[in-house]
Amino acid sequence: MSEEENDEPRVPLFKIIMDDIILLLFLGVTIYAVFYLLWGVMEIATVPNLPEDFKNSILK
Amino acid sequence: MFRTCDITGFKVDLTSERLIRLNAVMAVVALLLAIVGAILLVFTRYQPVHLLDAEWYYRIVTFHGLNALIFWIVFFEIAGLYFGSTVVLNQRFTYPAFGWVSFILMVAGLVMVNVMVLAGQADVMMTSYVPLKAHPLYYLGVILFAVGALIGVILFFSNVITAKRTKKVGETLPLFTYGLVAAAIIAVITLSTGAVIYIPTFLWSLGLIEHMDPAVYKLVWWGLGHSSQQINVAAMVSIWYLVVFLALGGTSINERVSRTAFVLYILFICLASAHHLLTDPATSSAWKVWNTSYAMYLAVLASLIHAFAVPSSIESAQRRWGFNKGLFDWLAKGPWGNPAFSSTVLAIIGFGFIGGTTGVIFGMEQTNIIVHNTLAIPGHFKGTVVIGTTLTFMGITYYLIPLIFRRKIVAYRLAQIQPWLFFAGIALLSVSMIALGQMGVPRRHWDSTFSGGPFSFAFNPAVDFFFTLMMLGGTLAFLAALIWVLQVVVSVFFGPKVKGPSDMQVPISKLAPEGKPVKGYEAPGTLLLTMLFLVTFAVLFFINWKWLAAAWWVE
Repeated sequence: MSEEENDEPRVPLFKIIMDDIILLLFLGVTIYAVFYLLWGVMEIATVPNLPEDFKNSILK
Repeated sequence: MFRTCDITGFKVDLTSERLIRLNAVMAVVALLLAIVGAILLVFTRYQPVHLLDAEWYYRIVTFHGLNALIFWIVFFEIAGLYFGSTVVLNQRFTYPAFGWVSFILMVAGLVMVNVMVLAGQADVMMTSYVPLKAHPLYYLGVILFAVGALIGVILFFSNVITAKRTKKVGETLPLFTYGLVAAAIIAVITLSTGAVIYIPTFLWSLGLIEHMDPAVYKLVWWGLGHSSQQINVAAMVSIWYLVVFLALGGTSINERVSRTAFVLYILFICLASAHHLLTDPATSSAWKVWNTSYAMYLAVLASLIHAFAVPSSIESAQRRWGFNKGLFDWLAKGPWGNPAFSSTVLAIIGFGFIGGTTGVIFGMEQTNIIVHNTLAIPGHFKGTVVIGTTLTFMGITYYLIPLIFRRKIVAYRLAQIQPWLFFAGIALLSVSMIALGQMGVPRRHWDSTFSGGPFSFAFNPAVDFFFTLMMLGGTLAFLAALIWVLQVVVSVFFGPKVKGPSDMQVPISKLAPEGKPVKGYEAPGTLLLTMLFLVTFAVLFFINWKWLAAAWWVE
């Protein structure tokens, strides 16, 4: 390792994340999309349909 | 084209200044519409007057909700985003033409939505749950407004990134602008979700799509409806830090911790949209618990950090200015004559003690069931959005009038009283609504007596008392808001011009002097106040569990 590289102060990873607007945007959108939207829509999509005869008895 | 501000020394891009002014003016117009709607609703829910008929009640609920929660807030936030990304950073406005496009789209959206609602073509309330169907122009209006706002948010990012690239600001942004970055990211999430749900709903209203799933609609819609209020939280907290800086020359005693709290907002606060689906059977308890707890209370932790960081920055600055006696000399000797400062402190108290405590309690699956769909829910968000956000926005306007509109505040003495009147009114309104909700009075309901209905219900007789308090609080808050609107309009259009620093009625403080190293706590008074808050929260928390236990008789 060269002397120059040794002199550069090491920036903590968390500070790099905190100062990177685009990365924060990506993380914010992804966490929300995965945990709230996708997970929620998947759960709704897997709710079984009402049995036809039960549905008809309600609609009568 | 720039001008150099003779008060702050900032270089102000004139295009940016014009756009800030116009967005702020539209925000005030929207607030005026919102409060007119609000007073009509108060006197309809107040049973002895029962002002509007059922049709107009639901129409005005829609009108009030959209103007108060969307148009007033978002117009003001766009003005704030332009201010934070250009004036504060000495940065030019990067794409002015798009700034105008954004503004025109937002105004067109506001006009279309309000015309459709008042014409009786969109009696669907703010949530517009399918299969309720409004006129296609209503949905188009919402889409135009959202697209305009999204363009405004993108322009904010463009301004900030350009300022960083041209070294007008270092890698680390000022705390105020950093908080606005959090607000802007939440706005991207919110407005994109709005597009995801409103575009198909618009097509459905035109008959181009046959079926909209109500459960999916509700889930996605609340990604817009609730998250839009989280933009407010981030913007409001940013303004709190700004006001402490302007009024006292104070900064957060640990900026890194404050920034971390904003990051927690970005990552987790939007998950809380699930609060509105707590009684929906389609989603599992695991989904509800994870999302309504903001990923195990990480975003609540962020609010608690700010709840400590903002008052402690006030205390720290005041102590460095010499107000060192005892635990609360710093608070007693605060600049209470500065309406921006008093607005901020009152907003923090109301947001924390009323909005925050009820938000966490009502957001839990178990205790939510006591108050779900009752008046307690709007009572809660009167504590967050109105005492918190609206009062904060009103407060910072007392700085914007001389600095951006270059006008003196007319009837300044009235401005010093206005935040207290508004706080008292909304606090009374909010607490009364929460009490009414706890007694089972439904929200968004034209007639609480169910007169003429097939079912009746005898509420606790105390509801009459709380309805009266609600009416009194609502009236006081309406008058205080009207004073603010009139004062802003008269000052901006007819007020004397600001010619220099001597015309500043709201003082801008120098940086607080460097303090001596402190042994122990730097802000002991704030620590005690935070403990008081914690005890209040714990008491309310356990009272609600007690009420839950008493809700049904279990043998």
